Amino acid sequence: MRELELYFGPQHLGMVGNFSITLKVEGDRILEATANPGYLHRGFEKLMEGRSWIKNFPMVCRINLVDPDHMEMIYAMGVEKLAGIEVPERAQFVRSIYLELARVSSHLFGLWAYANMLGFDTVSNWAMYHRDLVLDLFEELTGGRVYHIYVWPGGVRRDFPEGFTDRMVSTLHSIGGCVPDYDTTFFNNKLFSERARGVGVVSREEALAMGGVGQVIRATGMKYDVRKVDPYAAYDRVPWEVHTRDDGDAYSRICVVRDEMIESVHMIFNLIDAMPEGDVYNRVPNPLKWKIPAGEAYVRCESSRGELGLYLVSDGGEKPHRVHFRTPSYAHGLAILEKTLVGANIADVGNIMMSMYVVAPEIDR
Amino acid sequence: MTNPLGTRLDATFKGVELRSGVDGRLAVVVPREAIVPVLTFLKEDGYDYLQLISCVDWIDRGEFELVYLLSFYTEDEVGRDGGKQEVLLKATVPREQASAPTATGVFAIAEPHEREIHELYGIHFEGHPRLTPLFLDRDYEIPPFRKDFDTKQYVADVFDRVPPIDEEG
Amino acid sequence: MDRNQLMKWIKAPTKMAHKYSLNAVYFCTGCGVIEVPPTITSRWDAERFGVVPTATARQANLFLITGYVSVKTLRAIIRTYEQMPEPKYTVGFGSCTINGGMYWDSYNTINQLDKYIPIDGYIAGCMPRPEAIFVAVTHLWTLIDKDMADGYKRYRKNYAAYRANQEMILGEMEWPPIFQTEVATAITEREG
Ligand code: SF4
Repeated sequence: MRELELYFGPQHLGMVGNFSITLKVEGDRILEATANPGYLHRGFEKLMEGRSWIKNFPMVCRINLVDPDHMEMIYAMGVEKLAGIEVPERAQFVRSIYLELARVSSHLFGLWAYANMLGFDTVSNWAMYHRDLVLDLFEELTGGRVYHIYVWPGGVRRDFPEGFTDRMVSTLHSIGGCVPDYDTTFFNNKLFSERARGVGVVSREEALAMGGVGQVIRATGMKYDVRKVDPYAAYDRVPWEVHTRDDGDAYSRICVVRDEMIESVHMIFNLIDAMPEGDVYNRVPNPLKWKIPAGEAYVRCESSRGELGLYLVSDGGEKPHRVHFRTPSYAHGLAILEKTLVGANIADVGNIMMSMYVVAPEIDR
Repeated sequence: MTNPLGTRLDATFKGVELRSGVDGRLAVVVPREAIVPVLTFLKEDGYDYLQLISCVDWIDRGEFELVYLLSFYTEDEVGRDGGKQEVLLKATVPREQASAPTATGVFAIAEPHEREIHELYGIHFEGHPRLTPLFLDRDYEIPPFRKDFDTKQYVADVFDRVPPIDEEG
Repeated sequence: MDRNQLMKWIKAPTKMAHKYSLNAVYFCTGCGVIEVPPTITSRWDAERFGVVPTATARQANLFLITGYVSVKTLRAIIRTYEQMPEPKYTVGFGSCTINGGMYWDSYNTINQLDKYIPIDGYIAGCMPRPEAIFVAVTHLWTLIDKDMADGYKRYRKNYAAYRANQEMILGEMEWPPIFQTEVATAITEREG
């Protein structure tokens, strides 16, 4: 059979996001895959060097459109570490709740993309609708649907409004009430599990060797979660579990996502119960003329796709000297995807890619 | 410094300088030739997770600083005091003749990271399997992430030069 | 349907038909795309307005350019746009397409999209809400009614200028010009 070169994306139905892969195929089998990112490269890290510390907040959240809140969080953590700012206890809880909400909304988006890719339109419509309910909460809290800029060095911008926690709890209950529906129509549905079982298997050794994080390694049975390994915000104040599966295939990965979503909701309830009273904000110096002492910091947190890191260097000026994000999709989309696609069918490219939840702007930055 | 790993590194390699790094990390500065041996040593020592390779342009000093952040996969909380520390490995590369040995032989994930640094900073990695462009479509005279590359000037020179379409013409 | 509407259908059935069935290209170009899935799913339901996403550019007539355009994407956008059959409409979504938005000083994003392909309308905002898409769609209907959504005609008419601009940024392009200048002028003259 003849070898062909196939361009997959960026304008392609099986491609969510502006990303492309060049496939070398023989018949329906992939012999070689080359990821071709860069369609969304804006040179963020360079642009941030030209803006002051505080002006970078609107920038960072646009690096990852699906889950902008963890981007804010990590940048705030980096700035706090460099400048030596303390965060009040209540703000830590508020941050955790906010980030868990963000995780739920991001996972629902991923579920939309995945279900949509496989043609499960009912589930994708549900997921998107439920995500919108979460976005309504965000809108009430911060004023923005997608980009919130709520986490701030020294705390969060404002406390929860009156009655917000009740509305949050009732929204989460109504989403949680649909989990059985999701299970019957999607996760336990034979049509779906046949399609996803045994597809895109990543063994634990492979995943670890190539810097896999998040669902990709949790689907291989490894309990690696930065929230446990290197706790930040209020994650060490409440009990919660890291969920894993053992097979390392697409089905395991999406099931890890499902379990995590449920865990997040439980965690939010626990956090609300344990939340202390007090301030949510420590004043920082005049942000417009804020000089941060020279030094470097590496901070990390667990975004909805895995470990997110930030390497931040200051030279004592009003602007950062170097910013470098270590994003989870970088390893997944560039290294692991290329390996996993070899030997797969063309029809499974989108399946594998979305099960790893590769988000293109995160790779390109 | 009383640090078991530091002492061993000091004993094994020449020219290794130890600094106390940021928040509990051990910072190790090595000459550029020693990057690969030290990385191999650390990998055998249990540092199996290369989080990041970064590059900082210190234009006043006329050098680039390559930063390798090493960590390890674990299922328990990382011991901040007394436990195993994460390592920050640094090496400097002069701005002229910017080249460094590749770490792809030690860590597979180094491949895209080094490709990116090659593209954005113009550092050549000797022995890298494919140093093809990763993100960029245009050719830039100065690699764009270097400090002497002025983005505003570039935008004015390139994108703002394109004339608007004259609808009447 | 009142008499006015009916007359419109009788006079120009094709125009009315493609006005109410805008098939959008499935191409996620920038971060604005995050508001498109909510728009096309059950909550906001763009299908009420006849907008559905389409798999291939060859069957689409609406191109929503959702956000900043990097040089590499510009190539894909032009290619996609040229593959769409006429009549076709383009809408720039978000401030990035208007003047570069927050990436005005980025070395890799083109700032003004209408220098490279014709745009029929813009939706301002960084990130515009789903409602804004609907406002834009209804506005586009008015433009189509009045024959003012004529981007594709302008593209044909000024093709040489557009192509020159594209080549300024992209260099030599892999595909030949889609219009010969004389042919384009002839078609334009015939259609008036
Ligand atoms: S206008 Fe704003 S939301 Fe839209 S692409 Fe630009 S930065 Fe993103």
